[in-house]
Amino acid sequence: MGAGLAAAVVPGCSGGGGGRSEALQVWGGVPAASGPADVVKAFQQKFPQYKVEYTRFVNDDRGNLKLDTALQGGVDIDVYFTYSQGAMALRAGSGLAADLTDRVRADPELQVYLDTEKPRSYIDNGKVKALATAREPFFVLFNEKLRQRAGVELPHAWTIDEFRATARKLTTDKTVGVYTVPDVARIALGPNYWYAGDRSNFGDPHFEQGFRLGREMIADGTAFPWTEVLSRHLDAYQQNAFLGEEFHLWSTAPFNLRYLYDAKKYPHDFKVAFAPSPTVDGKDWNGGSFSNFIMINPKSPKFEAAWAFVKFWLTEGATPMLKGGKMPALGNVTDDQIVSGMLGKEPEKYFDLDSFRRVVLTSEPKLATDTRLTGFPEITLAVKQQRDLCWIGEKDPGAAIREVRRLADAAIARNERRP
Amino acid sequence: MATATLVSAGTKARVEQGRGIRPSGWTGFLFIAPNLLGVIAFTLIPLISVLVLAFTDWNLVSGIGGITFNGLGNFVAIARDPGFWHAIGLTLVYVVVSVPLTVILGLGLGIALNRPLPGRAVLRAIFFLPYIVNVVAVGMTWLMLMNPKAGLVNQVLDVFGIRPGWFASSHWALPALIVMAIWGGVGYCSLIYLSALQDAPRQLYEAADIDGASAWAKFRVITWPSLLPTTIFLLVTLIIGASQGFGLIALITAGGPGDATTTISYYMYQTGFQFYRFGYASAIGLVTFVGVLVLTLFTWRAQRGRALND
Amino acid sequence: MTRSKWLWGIPLWILAIAFLAPFGWMISTALKPDVDAYKIPMQWIPHPFQWDNFTTVLSGATSVLPAFGRSVFVAVLRVAGELVTATMAGYAFARMSFKGRDKLFLLYLATAIIPAQLLLVPRFIYFQKLGLYDTLWALILPGMFTVLGTFLMRQFFVSQPAEFAEAARMDGANEWRVFTRIYLPLATPVMSALGILAFVWSWNDYETPLVLISNPDRYTLPLSLTNFVDEQGQIAPGLTMAASVISIVPVLLVFVVLQRRFVAAMTHTGIK
Repeated sequence: MGAGLAAAVVPGCSGGGGGRSEALQVWGGVPAASGPADVVKAFQQKFPQYKVEYTRFVNDDRGNLKLDTALQGGVDIDVYFTYSQGAMALRAGSGLAADLTDRVRADPELQVYLDTEKPRSYIDNGKVKALATAREPFFVLFNEKLRQRAGVELPHAWTIDEFRATARKLTTDKTVGVYTVPDVARIALGPNYWYAGDRSNFGDPHFEQGFRLGREMIADGTAFPWTEVLSRHLDAYQQNAFLGEEFHLWSTAPFNLRYLYDAKKYPHDFKVAFAPSPTVDGKDWNGGSFSNFIMINPKSPKFEAAWAFVKFWLTEGATPMLKGGKMPALGNVTDDQIVSGMLGKEPEKYFDLDSFRRVVLTSEPKLATDTRLTGFPEITLAVKQQRDLCWIGEKDPGAAIREVRRLADAAIARNERRP
Repeated sequence: MATATLVSAGTKARVEQGRGIRPSGWTGFLFIAPNLLGVIAFTLIPLISVLVLAFTDWNLVSGIGGITFNGLGNFVAIARDPGFWHAIGLTLVYVVVSVPLTVILGLGLGIALNRPLPGRAVLRAIFFLPYIVNVVAVGMTWLMLMNPKAGLVNQVLDVFGIRPGWFASSHWALPALIVMAIWGGVGYCSLIYLSALQDAPRQLYEAADIDGASAWAKFRVITWPSLLPTTIFLLVTLIIGASQGFGLIALITAGGPGDATTTISYYMYQTGFQFYRFGYASAIGLVTFVGVLVLTLFTWRAQRGRALND
Repeated sequence: MTRSKWLWGIPLWILAIAFLAPFGWMISTALKPDVDAYKIPMQWIPHPFQWDNFTTVLSGATSVLPAFGRSVFVAVLRVAGELVTATMAGYAFARMSFKGRDKLFLLYLATAIIPAQLLLVPRFIYFQKLGLYDTLWALILPGMFTVLGTFLMRQFFVSQPAEFAEAARMDGANEWRVFTRIYLPLATPVMSALGILAFVWSWNDYETPLVLISNPDRYTLPLSLTNFVDEQGQIAPGLTMAASVISIVPVLLVFVVLQRRFVAAMTHTGIK
C-alpha cells in the first residue's frame, strides 16, 4: 500500500507550472462528462492534427477567481468560457480576451455575432471579444396533471395579468400556483434594462411593478412563500419542489429540463407542457439570454488551433451540449436532435411535445445578452438583497426599489470613474 | 482554612511558572528557526503584498500592471462606507456572543469528557464531529433543522409558543449562525481543554483533598489557573476564526436576507471575489487585522497580568 | 464512582444526539435517491435504500480513491512537519529567554490574523514564481510551518514548572536534552491534540488547493468533491455525501488513536 501510494502520489509533486503543453488547453465550467468531452472527441476526429485537453473549473465565485488568477499568472490556457456577465466586462476589458472581429467578419456563418440589436456576442470598444455558444430562452412549464385537474387551458400567448389569474386558478389549499413571477421589467425593457444613460434605470415603474406583483402573489398564496424559498435554498433547487408537485407553474429555462426526464433519479408521474413567457404592456422580451461565452486567451501561441476549436463549437460541434439543456446559439441543429438531446430517451412519456415544438422550436423568442455591464455584480447583489427583503415581507416594494436604485447609482458612478 | 492553603499553593504554582527561565542567547533562535523560516518563506512574503495592495486600486483581472496606487483612498472610502460599518457591527455581535459561550461550554464539556464515562472514547469523537464533517453536510442539515415551518427546532420551540424565522428572517439569521458557530466550536475547545487537563498538577489536588477543600474551590484555585494559557489560546483562535470564517455564511445565507449576515469576512469576500475590488478588499482586511490585533493584545495582557507577573 | 459515571454519562449521551445530526444526515443522504434529500420534513431513514452512490464514488471515472491517496500523503507530511517545527518553536517561545522574544512572538501571532482569503491571490502569484504552482508541495510546505500550532505549544509549555529544567541543567544537560528528555514527554497530550487538529486542517482544506492546483490528476479529496457539482452550481447530494462519509473515516481513525493520550485520566477534575 505504502509504496503504491507513494508511486501514485509523487508524480503529482513534480511537474506542473510553467511549461507549455502541446495540446490545446480549454477551460470550461461544465463537467467534461456532461458534453464537453464529446465535443472535444468530435473535434479531434475532424482535425487529427490538433489535440485538446479540457479542464473543468467550478463556475462559482471562487472557481472564477481561480480562472482569473490562472489567466493572469500565465498558466497554459488557450480557450476558456465565461458564464457571468460581471467577469465578462473585466476579462474582455483587461486584455484577457483576444480580438475576434476579423475572424467573425470574414465568416458568413458567423455574421449574426455582429448584430447589436439582439446581441449574442460581447463587443468591447468595437472589438468582438466573446461569442455566446448557447441560448437559454425562458418559458413557463405546466404540470399537466394538475393543470387538467384544475381545468385550465394551456395558453399559446398570454399577458402577465393572465399569468396571475392562471396562478390563482391553479392554487389549491395544498399546492401553490406558481414558483415565482417572471422578471416583469426585463420582459418590458429588454437587454441592458438596468441602465439609462450614465445612471441606473430603476426609476422605471416596471421594476417596482415586478417587486409588487411578487409580493402580492406571495401574500395571497398564489406564489411560493419566499421564506420557504430562502430556508430551503429553492432558488438553486427549484426542480425538487416542482417534481414534488408543490407548485404547478414554473418559469424556467432549458437547463432545468434534464431533471424532468430522469425517471430513475427524479421519479414523477406527470407530463410537462410548455407555454411562452407572458407579455408585459405588449412587450415580449425574453427573460433568458445568450450565454456560455467562449473566449480565446490573447497570450495563446496556438491561435489558429484555438480559433478552429471555437468555430467548430459554434457551428457544428455543440450538439453533445444539448443534454445539459444548452441549445446551440446559432441554432444549427435539427429539431429532432434538440428533442432527443434535451428531452431524454422517452420524450412522449414526460413532455407534451406539441407545446414544446411550438414554444421552443418554432417561435423565435426575443433573446439578447446584456452588453452594458458597469457595476454589474454590485447591482446584481443589490437587486437580490432587496428582492429578498421585500418578498419575505420585511420591506415595502417602493422602499426596496429606491434602495436598489441608490446602490446601483453609486456602483455605476464608482465604476465609471475608473479609466 | 483549607481555602487559604489552597490559594497559597495555587499562587506558588503560578509564580513558579514565571521563574527559572535563563537567558539562552542564540539557542532560542535555533529552536525557532525552522518554523520561523517556513512562516517567512510561505506566509509572510505573500502577506506583505496584501499590505501593499491595501493602498491600491486593483481588480485582479488587469494583472500586476493594472495596479494603481491611490494612497489612503481606500481607507477614506472605508470610513464612509455604511456597508463596512454594518458588517463590523454584525461581526462584533457575532464574536462577543459566540466566542465566550463556545469557550465556557467547551470547558464544561472538556471537564465532563475527562471523567470516567460509559463509551467515553466514542462520546469524545461525537462532540468533535461538527468540526470535521463536510461543511456542505453541516449546512444542509441545519437548514432543514431550522426550517421555520417544518424544522425540528421550531417544532420543539412551538411548545413555548415561539417560531423564529431563522435563515428567512433578517432578525433571526444572525442568531441562527451564532448557534451553529457555538455548536461547531465546542468540540474543538473541549479537545484542547482535554489535552490541557492531563497536565493539571496532581499533587495539589491531593493536598486539597487532605484539606477537605470544596470542588469549586479546587477548580478555582488549581484547575482554572492551569487552564488559563489554554483559554487564551482558544479565545484568540476563536476570535480570529470568527473574523475570518465565511464558509458557512457563503453556504447558508450568502450574507442575507438583505445584508443581515454580511459579517466583515463575508463583506470582504463580496468586494474581493464578487466585485473584483481587490485593493479595497485588502484595505478592509488590513483594518480588520488591526482590530483583531488590538483584541488579541488585550486578551494577551490579561494573561500576562494574571499568569506570569503574579 | 459507577453511579456518578452514569449520572454524567446519560445527559452527555442525550446531548450527543444533537452533535450526531449532520453526520447521521450525511449517511442517510448518501443512501437515498437525490430527490429525497431535500424533502421536508426530513426523511432520516432512506427509502428505498441504495448503495449506488458509494459504488459511483469508489469506482470508475469519478472515483475519489486517487485523491484520497494524495490527501493522505499531504496530511501525513503536514502533520509531521507541523509537530516538529511547532513544538520546537513553541518551547523556545515559552521556556527560553532571548532578546525580543515576546515581541517576536506577537509579530508571529499577527501573521495569523490576516484573513486567509486575501492571501490566496498573492500566494498564487508567488508560488507560481517559485515553481510550486500545481504541485502538491504548494499545499504541503505552508502547512508544515504554522503559527497557530506554535501558539498552542507555547501555551502548553508556559504552564510547565521550571524545576525540572533547573535540576537537569545542574546535571549538565544541554538545552536540546532538556527539551527532548524532560519537556517533550510531558507534552504528549497536547501534541496529540495538535496532531488531530493539523490533520483536520490539512484534510478539509478546500481553498488552497482550489486556487493552487488545477490538474485533476493532482486533486486532493475536498477538491475532488467538485466533480459532484454541476455547471449550475447544484450539488449532487447523494454522491457528495457518500464521498464525505468516506473522507471522514481517516479523521476519525486519527482521532480515536490519538485521543488515547488523554487518558492520564485524573479522577480529580475539581468537580465531583
